[in-house]
Amino acid sequence: MATTWRLIYNPAGHIADIPAVPAALAAGRRVGRCLPRCFRPPDTLVIQGIRGKGILAGADVVVDACEAEKHGIDIGAAPATKGRRAPKPAGTLRFEDITASAPAAFGAAACAPGDPAVILYTSGTTGMPKGVMLSHANFHAQCSLIVAQVFPLQQDDRLTVVLPLYHVYALANALVASVYFGASLCLIPQYSPALLLDAIAASRATILFAIPSMYMHLLTLARVRKTGIPQTLRLCVSGGAPLPRAVLSEFEKIFGTRIAEGYGLTETTSAVCLNESGETFRPGSIGPAAPGVEIKIVDDDGCELPDGHAGEIVIRSAVVSQGYWNNPQETAAVMRDGWLHTGDIGCRDHDGYFFITDRKKDLIIRGGFNISPREVEELLATHAAVQEAAVIGVMDKRGEEAVKAFVVLSPGASVSEKTLIEYCSMNLAPYKIPKMIEFRDALPRSAAGKVLKKELRTGYVDIRLMQQGDTAQEGGNG
Amino acid sequence: MAEIPSLGAMLAETARRLGSKEALIFEGRTISYRELDEQAGRTANALAALGIRTGDRVAIMLPNIPEFVYTFYGLQKLGAVAVPFNTMYKGREITHILNDSGARAIVALTGFANLINEIKTDVPGLEHIILTGQRTLLFAQEGATVFVQMVFDAGRFASSDAVFKATGAVLVSALKRLGVDDAWYKHQGSIRCDGKKIASILLSTFENLFIVNALVCIDRLEIDTFFKAVGVPPEVKDKVLEPMTSVREQTGSPVTIAVFRDAFMDAFQQQLDADIVSGSLSIIERFAYRQARRRPGEKIPKT
Repeated sequence: MATTWRLIYNPAGHIADIPAVPAALAAGRRVGRCLPRCFRPPDTLVIQGIRGKGILAGADVVVDACEAEKHGIDIGAAPATKGRRAPKPAGTLRFEDITASAPAAFGAAACAPGDPAVILYTSGTTGMPKGVMLSHANFHAQCSLIVAQVFPLQQDDRLTVVLPLYHVYALANALVASVYFGASLCLIPQYSPALLLDAIAASRATILFAIPSMYMHLLTLARVRKTGIPQTLRLCVSGGAPLPRAVLSEFEKIFGTRIAEGYGLTETTSAVCLNESGETFRPGSIGPAAPGVEIKIVDDDGCELPDGHAGEIVIRSAVVSQGYWNNPQETAAVMRDGWLHTGDIGCRDHDGYFFITDRKKDLIIRGGFNISPREVEELLATHAAVQEAAVIGVMDKRGEEAVKAFVVLSPGASVSEKTLIEYCSMNLAPYKIPKMIEFRDALPRSAAGKVLKKELRTGYVDIRLMQQGDTAQEGGNG
Repeated sequence: MAEIPSLGAMLAETARRLGSKEALIFEGRTISYRELDEQAGRTANALAALGIRTGDRVAIMLPNIPEFVYTFYGLQKLGAVAVPFNTMYKGREITHILNDSGARAIVALTGFANLINEIKTDVPGLEHIILTGQRTLLFAQEGATVFVQMVFDAGRFASSDAVFKATGAVLVSALKRLGVDDAWYKHQGSIRCDGKKIASILLSTFENLFIVNALVCIDRLEIDTFFKAVGVPPEVKDKVLEPMTSVREQTGSPVTIAVFRDAFMDAFQQQLDADIVSGSLSIIERFAYRQARRRPGEKIPKT
């Protein structure tokens, strides 16, 4: 039997009509429930367009009304997602609904120290991301051994964290460490240099966790503002990439603070080495091993090498993960006799300071996030026009590592660089998307058929390959 | 090792010692350790009521907002395993993480509902989608975006899945009538051409009603100027910037909203065996409409 629907057609409305019309219909239905059936509003279909341009923004989205007016953009409020009268997406639950009615008391369940508390996914050399298991004991060790001794947090410290909490750097050192020490945590949900600077000032932050690009931005902003630069920071930590020496010194002077650079991995619950500015600072070094951390340099057979000789950096400590979730093979490949094989190549000087000189793993690091070249290569190869692809890290204009792809097309196929980049952006997080694509007739291969990435890299400076004594420094690769 | 407390016990202990001290500072608000401990307790109880047990994995796809902290410590109190991941991840990456970790639930931003719905059938182990935050962001432009909405009794369709299916089928059929031949609808989210989004569908429930909100692109949206007016975190921006296409880009010819309306009504009538009668808002609805409009001074739509 045919059903009847009412059509409401509003082809040139205001942006605020878009949510208001269905809201009015829903409200009419509520009231209509008390009326005789024949007066109840019918099922309704609405087709709406707007005049000009409009933005529908949720309550937590900041809209600049002046800028909007300047560009002729109207603003409408997106329907609330909280509250009794708010519709909710079908098949979902609202966090506020399920927690508001739940009791506040909950006795913590008994856990063994070695039980995983968190699984963090990180890209390695093999295709898709692997889940690094971090246990209650790992976090406890990070707080009690490293945070407590290297940059002792105190109860009256206020930490500012703009780095995402889903990354090991902020997760271990801010989210967990602040509760461990009873400090206060200032959460910043989105990054802009001005927002960060204002938040530091407003919360009178004493500790800042950031990555080099943020220190550079803050410094640039502080130079412009000249006055009102917060002087409350007693310690800043930088990781993820090298921080240029000049930036470090000027930042310390203007903000009246100190910066320590950390080196660590997701597999080590973040930092295992810290190079602190001051008397103990060694240019180009990642610092000495932190308390409770053993680091040695080994050859391919796992034998320890003497000082000054380059080999793989291996780590043993209570902060080292037990392995990858659901992946004994990968776990066995990196965890050998209790030592984590980092894939980083480095050496130690006579004073116990470590230097990174090369990387064994085929890995790209951008903004502190690991990128697996293989994951990008595999994705590209799923495109119909692509026969094969090879991906390397190159330095972009800002001095950050960026993804570059070399693509061999399938016979007879043609595809533009733009289309392939778009294809990647549909399937990959933005930092993994190639910034450049170069088409080749073939990829350079060894006699055994292995793609020779070294040849592809010719002409690109690999910023990770720091020589001992360089003024720049290697950061952590979380 | 026995003296090492779990992260859940650690929060309880800090709250016992420092109850009124500020634990979190967020957008001018402070949250004490006691409040944090209680919020984590509520989250643990709420998740336990959903059947989440010690050792279960629960994914977190949130930016730095207090709900991240409540969820994290709620899971720790439960002895469950938190699986927080990059909010910039796309469907393929999220599918891998949810399946590999075997997550039974996910706590995510409300604005990610569409993305998670779209991959839900590829993640059979995911039982609960829990949403928070009000970071929804939508751009509209004359001649480029058309909003198709439906408000109807829940009883009209057998299930929410049936509504998704019917709405998707009508939209695909309308797009085909307009010459977009390779439009396809996977599941509960987006209609795509060559992987690019051309329309999205969000189904909401409200008491005994279903409310469908669909957005269809009939022409290219000029996105750049919009970002001059809104400052949004990268994960929100990235979802807005997802490669889009439109009827015009697919067919080479422009389509007006009136032409789209006719194609949509044809498809709707045929697919759903429905009669459509032009109408306008009733007196009660007009009153509700005025209340719902946040900006005064605009006229009620002529119908």
